[in-house]
Amino acid sequence: MTLGIGAMLGIFLSVALVNNLVLAGFLGICPFLGVSRKIDMAFGMGCAVTFVMTISGIVTWLIVHVVLVPIGTALGDPEALFFLKYVAFIMVIASMVQLVEMYVRKFFPPLYTAFGVFLPLITTNCAILGACLLIDMKPEYQNLLSATIFAFGGGIGFMLAITLMAGVREHIRFSDVPECLRGPAITLLVAGILALAFMGFAGIGK
Amino acid sequence: MADIQTSNLQQFREGLLDNNPVLVQLLGMCPTLAVTNTLENALVMGAAATFVVVMSNLVTSLLRHQIKPHVRILIFTLTIATFVTIADMFLKARMFEVSRKLGPFVPLIIVNCMIICRAEVVAIKNGLWRSLADAFGIGLGFTMALSILGVVREVLGSGTLLNYPVTPASFEPHLWIIMVLPPGAFLTLGIVIGIVNYLRQRDRKGGAA
Repeated sequence: MTLGIGAMLGIFLSVALVNNLVLAGFLGICPFLGVSRKIDMAFGMGCAVTFVMTISGIVTWLIVHVVLVPIGTALGDPEALFFLKYVAFIMVIASMVQLVEMYVRKFFPPLYTAFGVFLPLITTNCAILGACLLIDMKPEYQNLLSATIFAFGGGIGFMLAITLMAGVREHIRFSDVPECLRGPAITLLVAGILALAFMGFAGIGK
Repeated sequence: MADIQTSNLQQFREGLLDNNPVLVQLLGMCPTLAVTNTLENALVMGAAATFVVVMSNLVTSLLRHQIKPHVRILIFTLTIATFVTIADMFLKARMFEVSRKLGPFVPLIIVNCMIICRAEVVAIKNGLWRSLADAFGIGLGFTMALSILGVVREVLGSGTLLNYPVTPASFEPHLWIIMVLPPGAFLTLGIVIGIVNYLRQRDRKGGAA
């Protein structure tokens, strides 16, 4: 259960930079293209995603290791209930988003107005479900601490990518883009170049 | 009866071409970018998504009088999650290699906005046949868009098509390795969408003149 500080930093850097969920893992492309018009909106979305991703990562890890595996073991096969995983995960994420929204509205009204419409949108953000599934698929995240760091790092990586993208797009507005490339096409081309830049991080960590 | 037939056909055509989920509506982008490094992956992903959208439209359309409006999103999501689980188990049992390559993107069909969008826009309001026609149109349109990307990226990036070498010996795929890596996906999709936009704008101008 003990994890050195170096290993923790390794997981964090690996998921936030080297294997960035958006630019190398293709997760959360919809908000990445849709909500990256302005820096402050992109940053708000990034914060909300980081928040929900960390909590969902922890809760889905607990669901697998505290609920599904022990009940399955009691039934004779630890993996007996794994067919329920996807249904359970999506239920957890949908209800976590709802819960977080209610909690934030009650106790942190300024934060709630800052997050605004982004919270409900996050339910269908595949980066969240994707991070939970990746944690579940990789054997090296089989303890709670590394799962938490992975989820948090993934959120930070998403925030970094979407904020960078918004910064670029704020400048693109003033340039003369060919008519057929306006909108999503040029955004995707920029994302390709950003992804190229992020490939330069390969080799950090492991 | 005749006009119902044509409208079903129109609904099908609409999803396949005019309202192609990936190239025009820009829905379901994550799998489009992630699994199109080879044509084989693209086809399997397209087939899985088509199966799920057809089944989800079928169930939603049959249940449309029972579903209460305020719980509909939850019902949609659970229906989709069920069929995705079935598709995932099938792939794991029959096509293990491909399923391993697709990784988390099979379960991620659950949050593919294309599928929930069809349930919300079409299946909840329309009868069985129309919903099915729509689902097949959207599913095949999705598969088609994925295959275009798959062909471009596999031929340029690895010099093969469905694992058979197709390029002349003088072509050196390692110079184009970027096409099978993540940046290649973004660049190819950006260019393909640009071409589609160009053709659509030309059509519109041609129609106006």
